[in-house]
Amino acid sequence: MKNMKKFLALAMAACMTVGMAACGGNNTADTTGNTTGTNTNANTDTADEAGDAQEQESGGATEITLWTFPVGDWGGAYVDEVIAAFNESYPDVSVNVEYLDYTSGDDQLTAAIEAGTAPDILLAEPQRLVKFGKNGRMVALDDMFTDELKTDVGNESIIAACSDGTNYWMYPLSITAHFMAINYEAWESSGALEYVNQEGDRTWTTEDFQNALAKLKEAGLTSGVVYCGGQGGDQGTRALVTNLYSADFTNAEHTEWTINSENGIQGLTLLKDLCDQGLLSYDAGIQASDELQLFSNGTVQMSFCWNAANAKNYASSVTFTPYALPFPSDDGVPVLESGLYGFGIFDNGDAAKQQAARDFITFVCDDAEWGPKSVEATGFFPVRGSFEVYADSDDPNMEFYNAMLAYVGDNFTAMDGFTEQRAEWWTMLQYVFTGEKSVQEAADTYVSNSNAYTASYSE
Amino acid sequence: MAKNAAPARSHVLARRETFVSYMFLLPCLVFFVGFVIVPMFMCLFTSFFDYTMTDFNFIGFQNYVEIFQDETFLIALRNTVLIVVVSVPTVCIFSLWVASAIYNRKGAVTSFFRCVFYLPVVTGTVAVTVVWKWMFNQYYGLFNYVLSSTNVIDQNISWLGDKRFAIWCIIMILFTTSIGQPIVLYVSALGNVDTSLVEAAEVDGATSFQCFWKIKWPNIMPTTLYILVITTINSFQCFALIQLLTSGGPMNSTNTIMYYIYDTAFKTNQYGYANAMGIILAIIIAVFSALQFKVTGSSKKD
Repeated sequence: MKNMKKFLALAMAACMTVGMAACGGNNTADTTGNTTGTNTNANTDTADEAGDAQEQESGGATEITLWTFPVGDWGGAYVDEVIAAFNESYPDVSVNVEYLDYTSGDDQLTAAIEAGTAPDILLAEPQRLVKFGKNGRMVALDDMFTDELKTDVGNESIIAACSDGTNYWMYPLSITAHFMAINYEAWESSGALEYVNQEGDRTWTTEDFQNALAKLKEAGLTSGVVYCGGQGGDQGTRALVTNLYSADFTNAEHTEWTINSENGIQGLTLLKDLCDQGLLSYDAGIQASDELQLFSNGTVQMSFCWNAANAKNYASSVTFTPYALPFPSDDGVPVLESGLYGFGIFDNGDAAKQQAARDFITFVCDDAEWGPKSVEATGFFPVRGSFEVYADSDDPNMEFYNAMLAYVGDNFTAMDGFTEQRAEWWTMLQYVFTGEKSVQEAADTYVSNSNAYTASYSE
Repeated sequence: MAKNAAPARSHVLARRETFVSYMFLLPCLVFFVGFVIVPMFMCLFTSFFDYTMTDFNFIGFQNYVEIFQDETFLIALRNTVLIVVVSVPTVCIFSLWVASAIYNRKGAVTSFFRCVFYLPVVTGTVAVTVVWKWMFNQYYGLFNYVLSSTNVIDQNISWLGDKRFAIWCIIMILFTTSIGQPIVLYVSALGNVDTSLVEAAEVDGATSFQCFWKIKWPNIMPTTLYILVITTINSFQCFALIQLLTSGGPMNSTNTIMYYIYDTAFKTNQYGYANAMGIILAIIIAVFSALQFKVTGSSKKD
């Protein structure tokens, strides 16, 4: 009896241990199942086309993992398709996919990197990929930046944004310009639309902008809100501030932040004055996503955080015509910020995986058929001049979105201290609009703190 | 001979039972050591290093020195203490009041109130926060709607964007999500107080307040101590609400030590510095908890 009790006790303890291990195993299996679900589907799809060869590769000599931040419509069915197509040419490579979001994606990445479980490939912007590259976490892609690629891209700014000046860390796929949008009908009914240039590239001036705001106020409409809450969408408020009086956000060498220049102060001061006069409003309690929500439900009549992907995402939820515009500037020539997206490869110490990752990236970005399709899946525009996309699109705005790329300025998102600078930017706006600090004082503090962060990288 | 055999067998039996007990504990122990104890020591160890994504250099106490010269940390510390000092007594007093009012009602009534107050606890933090965010919205939020409809305000307020209100909004939400468990615990504790003592006191002419203060309060002191400690720790570790609602803004007015630790570790990758702040937070919580033990312990002796 005693032996039986002892046996039962030990058996239960063993079961608990195994159970817990199994739970861990299940979690892993679930995660894998979840993240590789798309791949499994892809393999199933491909099985119809590739037959037994696909079945044989399920054992996968090389298994790689792709993590991707949200980039337009990239994801889901399209990623399944492209992986299946890739597997036709590379049946020995298995690709798992995991989708990140902008709220917790950085945390997941940081934790994974420090735990030594970073993915093999990451789809993101230069600010992340180049930063990881400079920190020695990624594989240099210098050999992929051939003369053919550089010639086809034909834009030094794009090529430079993929590099830290020494090595290339990001292989570019697509690009978009960030601009603003207005509620066409509301602006028309208030008379504000008369100050908007509806011809050509729709460029307009700071003076036009002020006049339009006055019309909106006369009509009793809440024109727009300068969102000052954390995380993301900072490119909208940055472009608004810099364009009003053609200020530079950084110096040409990307070593210092410069919004406390005379033009920068003029832009910030004008925005504060507009808010003080009730022509615009500001809110430190909302973020860019909240502002987009306010715009789409008609509460505010303009958004400072618009681009081609947002236009598509909100198309079904708006009851008005979102009319895209470049940011107003004193000289009528806007300088827009870009969203550049591409792939980087983490250095996980496995040459076979790195080669498989290179093959995958090359296929997704450069294949004559799948390259343009991948660009279309992001909802943005190709970095390669030879790619023709949206040829069959019936969206009349695509031409305008494409035209805005001509106004894209210097890409400084890979600059040292960019991430830290973003937090300082929101704080500066909050100080400016509440009047707790003078515009000059707030801008000086922002520049001083941000420059200190940037300098710390080279210490 | 027989006398010696029995203790020997009982000693063997005891040892075997101890062994079996430890076997039962082993799985939990492994996880506890692996996921709590080891990280704790790693946190302490790395707090003495300039530990970033690229560096790992020993710098002694430099992180600790810098922390107390860091203006943002001091603001975060002030905000954290404010949250604790306001929310802990408020939660304890309110939950005791509610529990006193419902513990001796009919079963269904007590259960109903327990459910009502416990609902925010079992509802996901994100879901709760999204609803509160909507209520606080400057443009179409419930609070502004009610206040402007009743002419209390003539201009909508940015509850989460104005530093005069933001921290109080956080405290208010924290309050609603914190009272559920204390109410349930107090209802249970009050229900366990020996009714004959209360009845005897009432026969002797004791007032309701005297019955509570002299009989019930000492009896529920262990529960109170537990609630104080748990609420204090939860308040110190307030993070999700801040991340989802304000990101520490405006102008750091809702930045807390927990959020600042997260921001430092995951946004700027200064792991060593963040770990040093974690150690300081742990010390502060330990001191607060010790004080609570001391105060409630001496109160119990009285």
